[in-house]
Amino acid sequence: MSGHSRFEGEVLPHLDAAYNLARWLTRNPQDAEDVVQDACVRALRYVESLRSGEARAWFLTIVRNAFYDWVSRNRPGEVLSDSEDALDGAVDFAAVDPEQNAVRRSDARVLADALAALPLQFREAIVLRELEELSYREIASVVGVPVGTIMSRLARGRAMLRLTPSLQAVHDVVETRRRS
Amino acid sequence: MKCDRALPCIEAFADGELSVWRRMAIRRHLATCAACAARFLEARSLQARIRAEAPRFAAPESLRAKVMAMPGGSPAPAARYAPVHRWQWVAVGAMLGCAITVVTWFAGNAALDRRENTDIASAAVAAHVRATLAKQLIQVASSDQHTVKPWLSSRLDYSPPVRDFAAEGFPLVGARIEDLDGHPVATLVYRYREHNVDVFVRPEWLRAGAAEPRTLRGFHVLRAEGQGMDWLVVTDAGGEAIAPLLQRLAEGDATR
Repeated sequence: MSGHSRFEGEVLPHLDAAYNLARWLTRNPQDAEDVVQDACVRALRYVESLRSGEARAWFLTIVRNAFYDWVSRNRPGEVLSDSEDALDGAVDFAAVDPEQNAVRRSDARVLADALAALPLQFREAIVLRELEELSYREIASVVGVPVGTIMSRLARGRAMLRLTPSLQAVHDVVETRRRS
Repeated sequence: MKCDRALPCIEAFADGELSVWRRMAIRRHLATCAACAARFLEARSLQARIRAEAPRFAAPESLRAKVMAMPGGSPAPAARYAPVHRWQWVAVGAMLGCAITVVTWFAGNAALDRRENTDIASAAVAAHVRATLAKQLIQVASSDQHTVKPWLSSRLDYSPPVRDFAAEGFPLVGARIEDLDGHPVATLVYRYREHNVDVFVRPEWLRAGAAEPRTLRGFHVLRAEGQGMDWLVVTDAGGEAIAPLLQRLAEGDATR
């Protein structure tokens, strides 16, 4: 099978997954397209190294790498440090598009905005888990860290989401029940 | 299992990432610990909200077209991949091994679920027989749901829905608490003609496996899910006669 037909047969079916990841990481449709296009060029080049049955995680790994290359060129401030402590509580609400901010009062947008505002490490873990429904092991292989690290990033990302105002009410109820 | 060991596992439990043994241990713990159960429900509800409210973006057609039009990848040098073929049978063997492991895993899982299921059904029948023989079927005698419900809630870490179905031929006569599989369980007692009908109500997460009707020691055991509860009916009346009651219990107020 030639490289291109393998790419079409095994990789292209995951284009939506690739775009979704890029869209959540870049938070912008045009940038997401650029990242996915770059990822496709790489995927075509390395398609021979793809083992069958792993195309989705393999392609998402490439998309993620393409994104980190793109972000270090275009928004070098965004990936501050590898130290997770530096990211503690650093929910980047300012990063949400101000125009979006003005109209987002509808309840359904609140959570999507909160997810978009999470620091990268937590955002990518939650998008891969909840929207792409990857297992912990697959996420760990896409991100290139141990499973335990993914678990703690998921837990902390979710804890940050629970602090979203409309979710706070639910959390308060749980806390009250826990104390009683 | 104590809370300090259960808490770190609750998210992994909600994500379906625990082994069958850990899963069972967590399930047991959730049944006895309201605080951890609340944590679990909170994790589930956040998950549901993310999936419902955060959009999954689809690739625009323009992007798809651009990608399709890309020139083909460079052909790989054949020699580099030739040695791989010699090892292919090893891969096949390994895959076969994996497949067997997976099948065994699922079979074991199903067997465990089934055993848990049978256990709970026979525990319920045993509880019904014990209560009938000892004439202790009812600890709180009332047909008023506003008497029975608070009586149960004050003795359990959950609050089961309680309703009287006298109009449908199933008058509520009272309730008691039974111990099923080590957990206190709300037991509603209905009458159907001359028969007693025990209804065991447990929070849904205790449930495992499928809900098929069965007959144990001459008693009919029926089961359904609804309103966040697992409903288990034990009676010596005919299974078919009781089915409408089970349906009304599980569906709640939806059809009213």
